[in-house]
Amino acid sequence: MTNVRAAGKAHRTERLALIVLRGASGFFIVSIALLIGYLAVEGTKLFTVDHKSIFEFLFSPTFAPDQGHIGALAFILGSLFVTAFAIAVGGPFGVAVGVFFAELAPKRVASAMKPAIEVLVGIPSVVYGWLGLTLLVPLIRNTTGSTGFGLLAAGIVLSLMILPTVVSLSEDAMRVVPDSLREGSLALGATRWETIWRVLLPAASSGIGVAVILGIARAIGETLAIQLVLGNAPVIPAGLLSPASALTSEIVMDMGGAAQGSLLQHSLFSMAFLLLLIAMGLIVLVKLVARKAA
Amino acid sequence: MAQAVAVSETRERKAANSARGRRAVDRLATGALWAMALFVVLLLALFVCYMFYLGAGSISWHFLTGLPSELTAGGGVGPEIFNSFYILILTLLMTVPIALAAGIFLQEYSRTGLFRETVQFSAESLATVPSIVMGLFGLLVFVQTLRWGFSALAGAVTLTLLNLPALMRVTQEALAGVPATYREASMALGGTKWQTIVRAVLPSAVGPMTTGIVLISGRIFGETAALIYTAGTSVAHGNGAYDFNPFHTAETLAVHLWYTHSEALIPDVDRIGNGSALVLLVMVLIFNVVARVVGRQLTVRLTGKG
Repeated sequence: MTNVRAAGKAHRTERLALIVLRGASGFFIVSIALLIGYLAVEGTKLFTVDHKSIFEFLFSPTFAPDQGHIGALAFILGSLFVTAFAIAVGGPFGVAVGVFFAELAPKRVASAMKPAIEVLVGIPSVVYGWLGLTLLVPLIRNTTGSTGFGLLAAGIVLSLMILPTVVSLSEDAMRVVPDSLREGSLALGATRWETIWRVLLPAASSGIGVAVILGIARAIGETLAIQLVLGNAPVIPAGLLSPASALTSEIVMDMGGAAQGSLLQHSLFSMAFLLLLIAMGLIVLVKLVARKAA
Repeated sequence: MAQAVAVSETRERKAANSARGRRAVDRLATGALWAMALFVVLLLALFVCYMFYLGAGSISWHFLTGLPSELTAGGGVGPEIFNSFYILILTLLMTVPIALAAGIFLQEYSRTGLFRETVQFSAESLATVPSIVMGLFGLLVFVQTLRWGFSALAGAVTLTLLNLPALMRVTQEALAGVPATYREASMALGGTKWQTIVRAVLPSAVGPMTTGIVLISGRIFGETAALIYTAGTSVAHGNGAYDFNPFHTAETLAVHLWYTHSEALIPDVDRIGNGSALVLLVMVLIFNVVARVVGRQLTVRLTGKG
């Protein structure tokens, strides 16, 4: 009798647990749906309420909402330039260090160096920005004679910030390559480098692709680290050394002063929505690359 | 005949040369990879030393516990440090249970199916949302729609959304690391699925999970962009500014570092900034060390192996 009761109780607990667990999982779906919904509504008010042209937003370089100009091209290009710089520098570097950890590093060296990579992930973005501001900007200023603020400073800071993401994901990608490929290549007389370059990297290419895409996602959304060193001029940058702006830096700079319902506020929400769309696009891209691999 | 010998000799020499060349390339590449990896570690060491060099002079008891000043020099960051910890704790109180439950569900209950796929995709999407965009969502929903205003709670809920995916992943990985034999043994003894998870699986997952939670805590502690328009850029007045009311504005240390530089009027911005940056860096280092030590000890205590 007591056994039956105990079993009944266990059964009820089981069902209750499942409801709670499923609810918590559902919370993720609700959150992202709400996020997309809210930002889609606020981010399109510029076009639905203010009747501005989406082409002006995307392709006009003139941003002066108080005079009715809402062109965000300068910010879009700024974001693309710093991200491209970060990937061009931090991407190959990160993959190389990932390869080092997966193929070369003796166990003891790896376990001594890995924590350093984890600390790099943990350093707050505003501290990276502060480092850039106090170390990198004066350095660039003194060597080039420019103000020191601009795409170069932001690009270097970002390269460093995406490094841990690219390192750990490309290391993972190398590790899942089966040992038979390594052994086969070495048995044919290839050197270790030839094995890495001609056999392992091609075999791990989709995983490394994912590492780079997630690096891009991290770079394009980065805000304070670059806001502190970009110089924040709302113009299309003339070169690596002239001040620029990015979507994220513009949002964080001007949101505080934007009046509710103003053209400025609506423009900033449109920029945030654009960033969200880019992030979502990158996630879909990751899925496609991963599926192609499988 | 002599010609043939000569030809085969050149061929051999060529092969030997190219083998030597290939070995040289191999050595060169190996050296380059070592150099790059060492460069990253040296760079980090340089940063840490530089931050200490810059910030050490700012650190004093008064700086760590004193109230910030708005116009004059000599302010401290006491309330900001308090707020950073306060928001961290509020965030963990929400993040840990939800992420734990969702992680258990995905790893132990639902291995396939549309619901699982959707949850997984939602989590991946949430994880890629830039933190400033998450901050604006928090501004729209918690600060404005729910009328919480700029507050510790609005900041904490925003950070919860931002960090849920990472913690769910930590949970999943920790559970995946528990050998299937534990589950089978518990089930064989008549345990229900839930009893198996709570009594047999979770104890061996606690170690790696704790490591993950502490590492994520470090990230929450230093988060800035998502907090500027949710928790606000000023500290509450009254109560000596150490304020437990979750509906009061709560500027954190990381936000303070950004805000004093970009907007505030105090003359000793550099002193405050250097000191704040150093405190943030030291906290990250502490979180990293604690994560390792506590995670390992818990694993030993709860599972009896190292």
